[in-house]
Amino acid sequence: MGRIAGPLDDVAGDAGHIGHPPRMGFFTDTSVCIGCKACEVACKEWNAIPEDGLTFTGMSYDNTQGLGADTWRHVAFIEQRKPLGLQDPGVEHGSYDAYDGVDVLGMASEAAARGGDGDRGELRWLMASDVCKHCTHAACLDVCPTGSLFRTEYGTVVVQEDICNGCGYCVPACPYGVIDQREDDGRVWKCTMCYDRISDGREPACAKACPTDSIQYGPLDELRERAAARVEQLHDAGVDDARLYGDDPGDGVGGDGAFFLLLDEPEAYGLPPDPVVTTRDLPSMWRHAGVAALTLLGGMAAAYAAGRRR
Amino acid sequence: MRAYVVSLLKAWWGDAATEDNDFRFDYLPRLTGSHSTYETALAQIDGACKGYFLMGENPAVGSANAKVQRLGMANLEWLVVRDFSLIESATWWKDGPEIETGEMRTEDVGTEVFFFPAAAHTEKSGSFTNTNRTLQWHHAAVEPDGDARSDLWFMYHLGRIIRERLAGSTDERDRPVLDLTWDYPVEGPLDEPSAEAVLAEINGYGPDGAHLSTYDQLKDDGSTSCGCWIYCGVHADGVNQAARRKPGSEQDWIAAEWAWSWPSNRRVLYNRASADPDGEPWSERKALVWWDGERGRWTGHDVPDFKADKAPSYTPPHGARGPDAIAGNDPFILQADGKGWLFAPAGLVDGPMPTHYEPQDSPFDNPLYGHSRNPARQVFSREHNRFHPSGSDPGADVYPYVVTTYRLTEHFTAGGMSRWSPYLAELQPEFFCEVSPELAAERDLEHGGWATIVTARNAVEARVMVTDRMAPLRVQGRTLHQIGLPYHWGPNGYTTGDAANELSAIALDPNVHIQEVKALTADIRPGRRPRGPGLPGLVRAYRRRAGIDQDTGLEV
Ligand code: SF4
Ligand code: SF4
Ligand code: SF4
Repeated sequence: MGRIAGPLDDVAGDAGHIGHPPRMGFFTDTSVCIGCKACEVACKEWNAIPEDGLTFTGMSYDNTQGLGADTWRHVAFIEQRKPLGLQDPGVEHGSYDAYDGVDVLGMASEAAARGGDGDRGELRWLMASDVCKHCTHAACLDVCPTGSLFRTEYGTVVVQEDICNGCGYCVPACPYGVIDQREDDGRVWKCTMCYDRISDGREPACAKACPTDSIQYGPLDELRERAAARVEQLHDAGVDDARLYGDDPGDGVGGDGAFFLLLDEPEAYGLPPDPVVTTRDLPSMWRHAGVAALTLLGGMAAAYAAGRRR
Repeated sequence: MRAYVVSLLKAWWGDAATEDNDFRFDYLPRLTGSHSTYETALAQIDGACKGYFLMGENPAVGSANAKVQRLGMANLEWLVVRDFSLIESATWWKDGPEIETGEMRTEDVGTEVFFFPAAAHTEKSGSFTNTNRTLQWHHAAVEPDGDARSDLWFMYHLGRIIRERLAGSTDERDRPVLDLTWDYPVEGPLDEPSAEAVLAEINGYGPDGAHLSTYDQLKDDGSTSCGCWIYCGVHADGVNQAARRKPGSEQDWIAAEWAWSWPSNRRVLYNRASADPDGEPWSERKALVWWDGERGRWTGHDVPDFKADKAPSYTPPHGARGPDAIAGNDPFILQADGKGWLFAPAGLVDGPMPTHYEPQDSPFDNPLYGHSRNPARQVFSREHNRFHPSGSDPGADVYPYVVTTYRLTEHFTAGGMSRWSPYLAELQPEFFCEVSPELAAERDLEHGGWATIVTARNAVEARVMVTDRMAPLRVQGRTLHQIGLPYHWGPNGYTTGDAANELSAIALDPNVHIQEVKALTADIRPGRRPRGPGLPGLVRAYRRRAGIDQDTGLEV
């Protein structure tokens, strides 16, 4: 078995694929997302995922709430009283009167008294399409006892529904809370990065449907370059809070195969700030477990011996 | 003009249309008044309109004053609804809002309602024409399910059956139907009429039976036929030009060989304006057409929207008429003087200058004029279509807030195509109202809770979305709150909710009869609306409090 922590250049090769294609991934540039949810619908259509609940959440326009067994793309909507670059949000009406302009004509009533406290000057509406990160070190895959979860030749992580036995070990293992069990059949489901489509030379359904190219699919190396340039471009345009998330091979999961450009801290989007592959400490955990087991055995033996003495 | 009309009559009545009988001009039905959709609904209530076809429309929730729409349909002799699902316009007689309130009883409804399931665009061939005038052909991918059929199938076979019934009739009034050219080839297991044959007929034929390629070829002597002059050329050379799909990478950015635009495959109207008075492009990058002095012709990436050989230097001689009176530097050739107009001395019912009037129901007086509302607007005061006092009129404060209606990405207009789709329904699962934190505080509205919104027409309930995106306005020295309502819902479907159009009134602009649903006044209160007779009771109580009668809001 391959490495389970730290930077890893050839993730598919590490998993035993020989002569494999370049690692493919997603760069989701949330700064251009318009929140149309075409990605969510395209994913459900392509993968025949069931509808999973008609709940009005009140979380802005996000009635999906999060990734799960029946939601493999999730568009978060976040409303904040913060500026977005140099944009004028146009929601501060308290400090001027809508009819001041016509007063110029000298025809309006004189009642154009100014007022308002002006404390609502800023507004931004962030939209971000979340997805399985296709981690370099994927804890879900590490803990899967059946081999249902596997690393593809594209370096992506896929679960095979005909092999999954529903043990559910992968669910708590995922540091992002992505993979999930379907209630009615117990098996786990998540984004396959459209393994069936990319194997056929097509881009994944969500990326294909995205009208703004917020979701970009391609060789991970290229995407990382493009993403770095985009962050720079945004910084130059005064969007100082633009940053990448999941692009760093040195992070706790060895970098994500699906990474993001965010406009705020990851927590604002419901993403963990510092994800760590949950199996990183497995070797030392097994050592501790081994000691514990021996101790337990020793205790049992002692108890047995004591029992015999009676 | 005569060439267009004669060619149209030839397309419809073929050999029966001759010079001697004025090309059967008298077969055309006469306008008996305004037949706008809203006046039609009122004519139904008045008993003047007795039958109604609804094809892909859902007025029972999608048109302004949904109650008036339903009451109109309830007074028909027959109603035909063709849609994908049992939309509200097909079921109001058994489970509509008036049944629930007791205002209507199924056994009293005399309307005979026919529902025909409709085929989706993937199940039929035809064209999409968007507002950019480009016709894009789509080919049927699968046969429709069950009894679902295309609109073309329905109209063609309905006509065929009617003509069979009338065959042999000697009654003069049956002639227009019996003389129609109604001979389209049918194909496939469902006898689907050939959509392309219809397109070819609309495109038109010359005296030799050849497909026409431009409307310049149309004649007023009956030797040409053309179902609609603006589409002439869509089937040039016998080729379905709307079905062209040459990739963008294989042609220039105008993409003239992708589908087809009316008229004449012109992509940008008035494109003469992209060139300066001398005929040179204002911008190389955005150049559309330009004057080629050597050849003495307009040319360019796009099809020039200008007389091909009229030089930029052309000045009309004194007394010139029609197109000859338009100078070589006047791009707006459909205006009598070729100029773009802000001052519109003709053609509009109101005008001639753009100006500001308050909406029909407004919390404010018009600061520009003594008249608050457009004096030329169309208002219809009826028992179920009453208006609010506005501005400084007594009672205006009973409906102190402004409602605006709009759409969500996840749903499509009246919801017939989206509310029944689980993947879309789950994304926006309930009707909601959007209010500012300030209005929520003022009216005790709880985020995620329920609110009831009331006008003189009706009251609806909606989940509450408190959001900074709704901002209070400062108008004439006081704070004005707005309520945002996405209008897609109705009582049927996979996701259900009240229809925002219960609240709106039939108040129309005088030129194109568009309903005023972007700004109206209302009250909002916490909690759900009453059920049963309590609902009209609540609406009546508000009206009484505001002192509303048949004359309210009719003043100019
Ligand atoms: S995000 Fe979770 S489910 Fe996706 S590959 Fe990483 S560990 Fe597995
Ligand atoms: S890659 Fe495919 S499976 Fe994954 S989110 Fe996109 S559409 Fe869904
Ligand atoms: S399809 Fe693209 S733009 Fe639309 S919500 Fe998804 S990521 Fe955003």
